[in-house]
Amino acid sequence: MELVKRYIAAVQRELPDAKRDEIGRELTANIMDQLDALAEQQGELSEADIANLLQQMGHPRTVAQQFAPPQPLISAGYMSLYKNTLFMVLGVLFLLQVVDSTSAWLGSSQMSFLLFIKSLASGFIQDVVFGFTSITLAFWLMSRYQPRQHSQCEQSWQPAQLPKVGPHWQHIALQDIFSDLATYLFLLIVIWYPLWLSAEQLANSRFLFTDNAHQLLKWASPLALLGIANSLWQLRKRFWSRNLLMANILINASFVLVILLLTASSPLINPELKIWQGVFDLHQLERAAVYSLVITALVPLWEVVRDIWRLRRLS
Amino acid sequence: MTSAQLDKMRLELRRGVLVLAVLASLKQPHYGYSLRKQLQDGGIDIDEGTLYPLVRRLAEQALLNSEWRQGEGRERRYYQLSELGAQLLDQLTEEWQQLNSALGSLLGSALQEIK
Repeated sequence: MELVKRYIAAVQRELPDAKRDEIGRELTANIMDQLDALAEQQGELSEADIANLLQQMGHPRTVAQQFAPPQPLISAGYMSLYKNTLFMVLGVLFLLQVVDSTSAWLGSSQMSFLLFIKSLASGFIQDVVFGFTSITLAFWLMSRYQPRQHSQCEQSWQPAQLPKVGPHWQHIALQDIFSDLATYLFLLIVIWYPLWLSAEQLANSRFLFTDNAHQLLKWASPLALLGIANSLWQLRKRFWSRNLLMANILINASFVLVILLLTASSPLINPELKIWQGVFDLHQLERAAVYSLVITALVPLWEVVRDIWRLRRLS
Repeated sequence: MTSAQLDKMRLELRRGVLVLAVLASLKQPHYGYSLRKQLQDGGIDIDEGTLYPLVRRLAEQALLNSEWRQGEGRERRYYQLSELGAQLLDQLTEEWQQLNSALGSLLGSALQEIK
């Protein structure tokens, strides 16, 4: 019987505390009944017979899992909400990190663009670890103590409210919305940098463009605000409609126009900017800035062409 | 169809039926091993790893009453259908009979088509 005791103890080790004694007691009674029935057929049982019966019952961990099946960390009812919350919160944390890193970059005389990217990446990774852990922990507690009920939205939905069948690109991905929002926020912070910096930070800072180019960028900043509003509208709808496409075309076309105007408003580069001047002369830097701006303009231009094509497909 | 697929589908098919069989068998009190014998004698072979946790789950749902009794020099936990379990068994039996009758005619006509 020593084998049976060891087997029961092994099963009990795999069980939750609350069920350990009760299941152990019941399993012992069941095994003893089986051994009695076997002894009636075969006479006195050897250790090998007992071992054989226990082997047939299965590994202690398997038996324990049959009595107390393992529970997933997040219940299936919450999984969709969990994933949605996770992506939304990580998107917002990314935006906050963009704001934080850009302010630090502008206010520091030491930080290069590469250090800015490093600061953005490392800060975001820290935020992801914190956000992922907190959200998972919250949903684990909800799964454990409050089983999912159907929400009001799930109970009162109407088939007629479902969007029309359309091509796969009509669904707007969350990462597209958040990368647009991050870009607009970055632009606004860079353009209006004197507002966020202290006098000391302002003294250390330098701006890449001339006052003339900076003024033009300031005039274009309502466009970035419109872009933010458009992204928030996309976040609400998550589905490309004709109106959303037209708004996107207008905003991106305006950005192309502003960037081209900027390239035409020579000189672009601030002559007081000392960095790189040991490597390149001002004329070379000016030409590099114009080429970079033309290449940058290709991105919103591509979106304009893409959205016109989509608009034609929708109609 | 592979044997793994067949085993999986057979398991799914048997899962609900086993609950019905266990509830029906527990109109009389039984302990784990005697219940398994009764089911086996009735033509339903079920391994311990499935039966014992199933019985505990039904008891936790208040469909079965249970008590420990001493007998033959050892304690055993006896299970019997509770009032709630009896009501559920009646409803499930009716459901099963309707399903069985509908399936009977469906499977009958499917068999005739195959022949």
